[in-house]
Amino acid sequence: MAENTLNIYEKKAEEMTRVTMITSDDLFRQTEGGFLSLDAGGRHYDRVRVVRLFPFSDANKYLSIREYENEGREIGIIEDLDAMPGESKKAIEHQLTLSYFTPVIIKIINIKDEYGYAYFHVMTDKGECRFAINMGSNAVSKLSDTRLIIMDVDENRFEIRDVDALSHKEKRMLDMFL
Amino acid sequence: MKTDRKLKKQDIEKLSEFGIAESDILMMSPVDLSFDGEYIAGFLFVTKEKAGVCIKTLPDSHVNIFGGVKVTEELPEEEPVIKDVKIYDISGLAHLRLDTCIGSNVLTGEYEGEPVEIAAFTNRYSSEMNVLYRKLKAYIKSGELPSEDEHAEEEADAEEEGRKNKRSIFKRTLKYFLRYKLQIVVLFLTYAISAVVSIAWPYLTGKVLFDHVLTRDDAFLAQYGLNGRYTLALLMVAIMMIGVRLIQALSNYMQVFVMAKVASDTVKDIKTDVFDAMSRLSLNFFVNKQTGGLMTRVLSDSERVREFFIDGLPMIFVHGITIIATFTVMYRLNWKMALIACILLPLLVYLTVKLRPGLWTLSGKRHRAEKAVTAKANDNLTGARVVKAFGRQDTEIEKFMHPSNNLRDAEINIVKLRNRFSILYNLVQEVSSMWIWIVGVYFVLGTEEIELGVLITFVGYVMQLNGPMNFFSWVFRLWSDSINSAERLFEIMDAIPEIRENEDPVRLEKPRGEIELKNVTFGYRTGRPVLKDINLKIKEGEMLGIVGRSGAGKSTLVNLISRLYDVNEGSISIDGIDVKDLSLKDLRRNVAMVSQDTYIFMGTVAKNIAYGNESASREDIIRAAKLASAHEFISRLPDGYDTVIGASGKDLSGGEKQRISIARAILADPKILILDEATASVDTETEKAIQYSLRFLVKGRTTLSIAHRLSTLHDADRLIVIDGGRIVEEGTEEELNRIENGIFRNLLELQNKSLSLNSGF
Repeated sequence: MAENTLNIYEKKAEEMTRVTMITSDDLFRQTEGGFLSLDAGGRHYDRVRVVRLFPFSDANKYLSIREYENEGREIGIIEDLDAMPGESKKAIEHQLTLSYFTPVIIKIINIKDEYGYAYFHVMTDKGECRFAINMGSNAVSKLSDTRLIIMDVDENRFEIRDVDALSHKEKRMLDMFL
Repeated sequence: MKTDRKLKKQDIEKLSEFGIAESDILMMSPVDLSFDGEYIAGFLFVTKEKAGVCIKTLPDSHVNIFGGVKVTEELPEEEPVIKDVKIYDISGLAHLRLDTCIGSNVLTGEYEGEPVEIAAFTNRYSSEMNVLYRKLKAYIKSGELPSEDEHAEEEADAEEEGRKNKRSIFKRTLKYFLRYKLQIVVLFLTYAISAVVSIAWPYLTGKVLFDHVLTRDDAFLAQYGLNGRYTLALLMVAIMMIGVRLIQALSNYMQVFVMAKVASDTVKDIKTDVFDAMSRLSLNFFVNKQTGGLMTRVLSDSERVREFFIDGLPMIFVHGITIIATFTVMYRLNWKMALIACILLPLLVYLTVKLRPGLWTLSGKRHRAEKAVTAKANDNLTGARVVKAFGRQDTEIEKFMHPSNNLRDAEINIVKLRNRFSILYNLVQEVSSMWIWIVGVYFVLGTEEIELGVLITFVGYVMQLNGPMNFFSWVFRLWSDSINSAERLFEIMDAIPEIRENEDPVRLEKPRGEIELKNVTFGYRTGRPVLKDINLKIKEGEMLGIVGRSGAGKSTLVNLISRLYDVNEGSISIDGIDVKDLSLKDLRRNVAMVSQDTYIFMGTVAKNIAYGNESASREDIIRAAKLASAHEFISRLPDGYDTVIGASGKDLSGGEKQRISIARAILADPKILILDEATASVDTETEKAIQYSLRFLVKGRTTLSIAHRLSTLHDADRLIVIDGGRIVEEGTEEELNRIENGIFRNLLELQNKSLSLNSGF
């Protein structure tokens, strides 16, 4: 009996430390209710979550697939989303767009700073936006010399992919954050 | 965002198609995302029997306005078009969940047994949606709608509004300085003197000296009874000039002296108030903000507030008066000359206005680059051990080059711009002074409209105007910076402590130490409960062991008992009195905690042990240290109980610190004792000793003991197992051991096994 439990725990430990890869053999589907389902390793999961392990440096590589219940236990890791078959890829991407919703700023119309807050008026790939950031906190984080993530007062994220691609005038407005 | 809550005409019409009238709607909250990750408009609403989501597509011209942005102008816009309405029967809804993702929030649930996505929205609506979600969940569960608490929300909004008002911030800051009335009066006096001197000096050295004294103007000298006595007159002028300079020097000296006093006193006052406010705040505040950043912020912000109020504000008056007075005097002397002389002044002001902001941005950049370099250097120095162990010196040096180069570039840029600025500025200044000389000489020699002395006076005045004019070009920046800083400081001062003592707290003189938790639910962030519906009763003098995986909520549970946080739902009572009603002082005095992360304060060992009980005698301290098995190592320290430990003193090992904190708890003599992994960082032998001493400590006290090593819980009267925020097993050790496949039993077996395995090595 005691042997038995020990074995169970050893198995658990093994499971916890093992890296399971999810390959193109495993099937993702989008369910009626709008969720992502997965059939992998002979098991069916009604609803799984996708977590980007390198959201900034390599958004489509190394995606961790997790159970929805069970405290989000990891089912496995997809090494490269682009290597997944079409339908699976589409279903996963749908899930990712919503959970990692981050408008990309394509044009800065105006930035005004006043009393500790900066007011952004920008055009994003999702439409025109106006938001406010707190200058005191680290609202603008530099992912690299040219890539920025801007967090508004409610922690909504906006991204600037390449500062160098902006016009001289836009860069000047952004200058105080660089 | 309140406007979004109003139903539009088309909404009402659309809803009536589903037999829903506006008055049926019990609550609603806006939504703004589609499941494909596009911005939309719409709202979620709940009526008595139904819940529904109305979704509208946005016109292309739509501007998404996020939190904190105030839109003053009315934006003419097409109405969003209703695209879809989904209606759910509340009876069919179950398992609602609000998932917070990186960039979105999704409300999901089960409808008639099938899982469905109900709505998605960004963080701008998350607080509203959270309220609705909680209420809706309660409604589905109990059929009753919880009472409204919107009132509180509005109040908070109004307060926020009031705080943002810059004029009130200004007034409030001013109060700090007005405490020093006498000094302020003296300051103003000295400022006034320098203003008067600045007017008199050019007049004296120009017009009086050249036009009256040196030209032997008898009519003028006669006024002072000096006609004909030219040498004496010259001497008088010289003495007056020396006198004026002397007065100026004296007043300057006074000014510096008084200013230093007022400045440091007000900064001290502000800092004291801020630290005072900070110590009242609950733990949450410090967890949410980085403490290091907080410190520098308080220090630099109070400095900046002082800068404006001491250096800036009085100067606005002084320089304002100087400018007006200078212009008046110049105009009275010769208005034509005045006009011509000042013609180039606006150019100088324009230069400053144009170029200064560039300097500011650059110096901001340099500041950030500097910070990056220090951070990197600091990182490397503190991590020196790891760097060396992995042999990464070379790469670290290389990595250091990047911020270091950035700093160099920033520095070069700033010097470049500053040079350009000063060259240009000096050029214009020179040109303008030459311009006055040229025009002046023409006036003096050509038209004989003015005399030499007036010209010299003019040159003096115009040069003197540069300073004040420039001052006005940047003082507004100083003002807004200082108001920002003041606002941040007031934000801390005004932060309402989440843990507030009742107005008339119940004293807890001699507690029995009975603890009861009723339906306690708690989470550090809304919508993410760490503890769910905990019911627990601990009898007087009982020792309760708490077991569970890391992150299960054990430490959270004990934090709630000493009221470091307040419960979200349910209640905690000691001796039948809700902890919220108890006096905080009594509560903290009677509940002592020995936790896994002990903090050692700067000071001697003895002071650290007597932290909770300052009146303790030496004997008490030694006895407590003995009981905590700390006496041995303390007596081996070079200075015994007087050894200075903590931040700047001698470093203690983890186990030593832990024993000191146990001694601290013993000496505090609390009725309720919390041991949160009290023996986590000591070796087995010491643990045994501490175990032994703990046995004395827990006697006559209600004890809650959290432990990973189950062997430490042998003495517990009762054990609870927490998993996923709930109590899953409860009973004595034997009872728990009898539960087939129970968590406790498995853990115990595992630990026993691995112990015997370890001893096999």
